[in-house]
This record gives sequence, C-alpha cells and structure tokens, in this order.
Amino acid sequence: MDTLGFLAHGFAQALTPQNLMFAFIGSVLGTLVGVLPGIGPTSGIAILLPLTGFLPPAPAIIMLAAIYYGAMYGGSTTAILVNIPGEVASVVTTLDGYQMARQGRAGPALAIAAISSFVAGTLGLVGLTFFAPPLADVALRIGPPEYFGLVVLAFSVVVSLSGPSLVKGLSAAALGALVALIGLDPMSGVRRFAFGTATLLSGVDFIAVIIGLFAVTEVLVGVEEAVGAVSLAPLGRLMPRWDELKACVGTMLRATGVGFFLGLLPGCTPGAISFISYDIEKRVSKTPERFGHGAIEGVAAPEGANNATTSGGFVPLFALGIPATPALAVLLSGLMIYGLQPGPLLFEKQPLFVWTVIASMYIGNVMLLILNLPLVGLWARMVRIPYAVMAPLILIFSVLGAYSVRNSFFDVAMALVFGVLGYLMVKLAYPTPPLVLALILTPMLESALRQSLNMAHGSASIFATRPIAILFIGLGIALTVWTLLSRRRR
Amino acid sequence: MTATWRIALTLLLSLIVIVGSALTAPVEAQPAYPTRPVEIIVAYAPGGAADVAARLVAAYASKKWGQPVNVVNMPGASGITGTLRAIGARPDGYTLLLDPHSSSAMLFAVESDVPFKMDGKTPIALLTLDPVVYTVKEDSPWKSLKDVAAAAKADPKTFRYGIAGVAGIASFSVSQFLYSAGVPIAETNRVVFTGGAPTVTALAGGHVDFAGQQWSESAGLIQGRKIRGLAVVHPTRLPGLAEVPTAKEAGFPDLDVVGWQGLAGPPKLPAAVVQKWTALLEEASKDPHAFWQFQQDELKKYLPLATRMGIRK
Repeated sequence: MDTLGFLAHGFAQALTPQNLMFAFIGSVLGTLVGVLPGIGPTSGIAILLPLTGFLPPAPAIIMLAAIYYGAMYGGSTTAILVNIPGEVASVVTTLDGYQMARQGRAGPALAIAAISSFVAGTLGLVGLTFFAPPLADVALRIGPPEYFGLVVLAFSVVVSLSGPSLVKGLSAAALGALVALIGLDPMSGVRRFAFGTATLLSGVDFIAVIIGLFAVTEVLVGVEEAVGAVSLAPLGRLMPRWDELKACVGTMLRATGVGFFLGLLPGCTPGAISFISYDIEKRVSKTPERFGHGAIEGVAAPEGANNATTSGGFVPLFALGIPATPALAVLLSGLMIYGLQPGPLLFEKQPLFVWTVIASMYIGNVMLLILNLPLVGLWARMVRIPYAVMAPLILIFSVLGAYSVRNSFFDVAMALVFGVLGYLMVKLAYPTPPLVLALILTPMLESALRQSLNMAHGSASIFATRPIAILFIGLGIALTVWTLLSRRRR
Repeated sequence: MTATWRIALTLLLSLIVIVGSALTAPVEAQPAYPTRPVEIIVAYAPGGAADVAARLVAAYASKKWGQPVNVVNMPGASGITGTLRAIGARPDGYTLLLDPHSSSAMLFAVESDVPFKMDGKTPIALLTLDPVVYTVKEDSPWKSLKDVAAAAKADPKTFRYGIAGVAGIASFSVSQFLYSAGVPIAETNRVVFTGGAPTVTALAGGHVDFAGQQWSESAGLIQGRKIRGLAVVHPTRLPGLAEVPTAKEAGFPDLDVVGWQGLAGPPKLPAAVVQKWTALLEEASKDPHAFWQFQQDELKKYLPLATRMGIRK
C-alpha cells in the first residue's frame, strides 16, 4: 500500500467518534495549557500520562499529541493580549502581537496567529506524511559541530533585535548569557555562580525570567503610566484584511520551511526557531522598520514556525524514537507504556496506529482553527478590561506560572527580580529580546562547542572537516556583517 | 502481546523486585493513611525514567486508595533540589521521593559535599530496574565488546564515546568497561550530552563511536537498526533484544552497572506508612533493609570508579 492509501486508512480510524472525541479533548486541553503561562505542554502531557492505563493506545496517543500541538495555538493568546508569552516559543510573538493589541488590532493578531498556526502546522504534517524516514536520517547527520554552527547563526539575530543602540543590545545579550551559566556545568558538574547555595545550583529557569521580563515589567510600566486598559482604541475588525492575509502568505510558507526543517533536529529548541523565523521575515521585508511596532508578519512568522516545528518534531519521534523536545519525551514514554517502540519498525508493524495518529493531527489542526477563530472576539475584548483589574490578574498568573514550572518559590522570586530588571531596562532603553535569546541559546552554544572539541581531542580543526557547520558559521558571520553595515548606512 | 510490550511492562510497571519491611505488621491500631493527597517528588524533569516510574506508581496508588497521589517535578542541580525538598518535609508520609540510581548512589560517588546525607532518607522500595546496553553505530566495524576494547586500546586518542551527564549512568558503565579492558581512559575522548536520548542519537549519527546507556534509551534505535547492541548488563538476554549477548557472554563478566528507580521518604517516616506502601507494592517481600543495602552496595561500586576516573570532587 502506498502512503496515501495508508493515510486514507488512518483517516477512517481517526474519524471514529471515540478518536474524534479524544482529539477534541486534547486540542481543548492543549489550548488551555498554552494559554496558561508556566504550565507548558510537557507538564500537561505528563499529568495525563497515567490515563494511558485506562485507554487503548490510539485514543490516548491522539489526545497527548493534540495537547502538544494545541499548546502552540494557545501560547500566542496571552502573548498578544497582555504581553505574557504562554510558552517559550511565543516570546517573539509579544514583539509585534502586543503592539497590535495596543493599537486596537488584537482581533487580526489573534486570528493571524491561529491561521498561520493552522497553515504551517498542516503543511508540516504533509512533510511528516511523505518524508518521515528519509528526513529522519538526514537529521541524524547533524551533530555537535553543526549545532554549534546553527547557534552561531542564531546569535546573529541579536544584532538585528538590538534596536537603536547596538551596545545596549549586546549588553542585554551578555547578561542573558551570564544568567544562563548559573548552576551546574553540564560537561563536568562544576558549580558555577551558586555561592554555595543549593537553590542557585539548579540554575535560573528561563520561563521565570520570561514571565518577569514581560509580564511583571509590563505591569510596572503600565501602573506608572496610569493606562486605563491595554487598548482604548475601538475594537475594530476581528479578522485580518484581505491584503494583510496576502502579505502573510509568503511569511507562512517561509515559517513552515524554517520551522519544519529545524524542528527535525533534536536539540534545536522551538524558542530559538521562532526567533530565527522572525528575523528572516524582518530581513526579507521591504519595510523592516514596521517590525516591533505591530507588523502582522511579525505574528504570523513565529506562530507558524512553532507549529511547523511541532509537526517536524514527530519525524524523528516516529521514525527513530528520538524526542526532539521534553514534551515529546513524555509522549515517547506514553508510547513505550503501550509497548509501541517508535522506529522504522513502527511504520512496518503498526501502520494503522501510526497513520491513525498522523491523520488525527490533520483533524486536530482543523479543530483548533475552528475552536480558536470564534474565540478571537471574546479574547480581543479582554484588552478593554480596566487595567486596575487586569494588572493584579496578570501578577497573580505570573506568580502561579513561575511557581508551577518547577514548584519552586525561588523561581517566583526570580520572576519578580527580573520584573524589576525589565522595568529598569525599559526605562534605560535596553531591549529585552536579546537577553531572552541569549538565555535560550547559551546552554546550546556551550554544550555544542565543548562536545565538538571533545570529539576531536580538544582540537578546533573539527569544524574545518564539517561542511554544514562551516556553512552555518559563515552565514552567521555574513549576516552579522551585513546587518552592521546596513545599520551604519542608516 | 508482543515481546516489546512484555518487557516494557516488566521493566516499567511490575518489576517491583525488592520491597521493604512488609512482613512484620504491628499489632496496635494504625492511624488511617492516606487521608489526604500524597505527593511524590521527582527531582527530574517530566518524561524521564524517574518521572514515568513515579507516575505509574502514583496512578496505581490513587486507584487503590481513592486518594490522589500526585507527582511533583522539581528538576535541577542533578536531582539535589528535589531531594532536599522531599527529605526536609514532615515525615508523615504525605511527601515522598522518587529515589533513582543517579541522585542517591552515583551522586555520592562523584561529589564529596552533597548537601544531604545518603542515610538521611527512609528507604521504602526499589521499583524498577533498567539494565545498561553497550552500543555502537549500526555500520561500525566493531562486532563485539572485545573489538571495541582492542580498538580503544590501540588508539585511545581517536576513541570517542558519549555519556549523559557526569553523575549519570553512562559515566560509570563506560568507564567500568574501559577499565576492565585496560584502556588508558585519560587519553580517550569523552563527549558529555544532556541526556540519554541525545547520547544515543549522536551515536546513531556517527558523532561518537560508543555508548553505554540504559535499555529504555537504547532499545528503540537497536530494533530500528540505527545502532547495534554489543552486550547487556543482565544475567540473561533481554526479550526483544535476543541477538544482544549478555556482558558475561561478551567476555566481560565484571560489568555490573544498572539503572534503577526507588521510592523513599523523609527520615523517620512512620513504619505504618512504609508498610502501607510496601503492602501496596505487594509483589515480593524480602529483606527489610534490601533497598538501603542495595544503595550502599551501589556506592561501594561507584566510589572507586569515580576516584579513578578523576570525576570525584
């Protein structure tokens, strides 16, 4: 039977009332998990994992997978409305999404997030459907030197995220890198910047930092400016205009490409991928100055990328049993509880199961679009809630979110500390996105560099023998130089 | 029921091999337990072997007792953060700890100043075992552990192996093998990854040449013919991996590093609570101190290895 035949069989199974119901439950739970900051898809799936004891494999895995991709839809909602990213992957969405909300364009922002998620998620699934095993083999060839190159490339984004002052942007990034180094050295277990405490030994959780820098800072600034609400502009239209949609078509396709291919690589976090996708849009745009001030492509790019990443992540999971993200690791243990060992054999031995789950993901994406679009009007009205009501609510959810990641009050304290730091940064015109990007990338950079050197007995010559790594590093340097030159010209 | 299913069930669910003191039930009336929700602290992120073991036990206990048994993840600092929280809790049986090989025995072998005492816990039961499988890439020229030993000995400077974390299982499994083979370990290339999955992935991609991760992390890629198992650390061959010889058959009978997950509580946990749990995990009941004894034996095994490797601080 060919791929389409298998997929048709999968659809026949996925459309049974029971499987439809579990795809729906998973989508709703996923959206919820995505909306709530702190509770990510990883804990969402883990909490429901024991349910696998009561359900047959297909409905259970359908539901757990739907939580995963559903969370990517939900993550944008709070990012756009109140500047709190629901997931790490939605940090970039705040840059333009929140600006759109303040301009009274919350509706189109939420709608394009859902549409872009749907388009990129579904196109990513097409990639999963037709190319899973060969692509998985390609992903395997990406090793530590190539990851190092990729991170160098991603770091070049710092320059373009820096805003008017390069020095301030780089300082913010350096601070992010420093914070990322707190805790145990991943290679040798040496204690760094822990000052003899067990609390700092576990490092600073980046969700807590993000909640602080975005949500808490936002409240502090808002209270000071005595704003009446996030936006007092008339609600306006809820759906994007036709020309806005058309402008985003190219964005969605590029986001799909970037998200899907980088999503194949275990070890490339969705947070970093959405930053890269945003940067690409800014570079190809004829009007890059709109970015950061409510460009609709700035919402479509990261939201599309993180959903394509989700679809891409299922390729190494199903084809090799390799989880690309912590959430997929939990899903993998769900499969193992059923004795379904992912790998090439899974496609041969359990074709109906695999294709049922893949088919259900197409259906789940449609459900999420239908679920999210009507909610746009409801959510969009939230920006009119008086700030006196909104601000305390944001703070409550910030504290809950920061606590729930690791069940730690230290993280709550960190969120507050970074809230104050973020406030100072806003006042002194230091950009916060470079800090977040450096925080996400530094651990990857350190591991990849040291692993590469260890592979070659400490010699940096290993990079010279890896063409893909050279390509990435070269691109990173070229982009940095290009951005610097174009900054000078301005 | 396939072989894979059976082994998953055996290893993850029902391999409750040693259960603490279940035989000597006290005569006096016991206070009811649990009367409110119980927390099992997992000092690692969701999705790992420790987390899954905890969730399966928790689901079973919730069902049996009609009280929620919740899993709380407190990852960070090689398991120190979560362990500290659990053993600092009131010893009333409502806060327990999922106690695996890494944060209990191995950590003490690597670190000389762990901020809690190894005996500062009440051991309850050993829950699961997860044997080590020594692996190479599928198309590796090395067909046996002896081949690996010979190659590493001949040219240690080009020999690359991957491990997951410094106080993790492979730190010990690989170095134990290299020592027993007489390879000068200081000259080899040790590449440290952030977890078991990234390690075996790098092996499958040919970025390292050798690994010694646990069964749960390696079996998928072995069955998928991306990596090849050369030996399992188990008295018998494992179902689903019938072509992989035991370490003894491979000519290395001394290899004995194995992963495991246990359940423990804060110090001075009431015997009634321990008994309630051990009765629940009712499969077998052996020596009351079996789990504690097991942890001590594990440390005895790892301490000299850590010292010789130079990773002890």
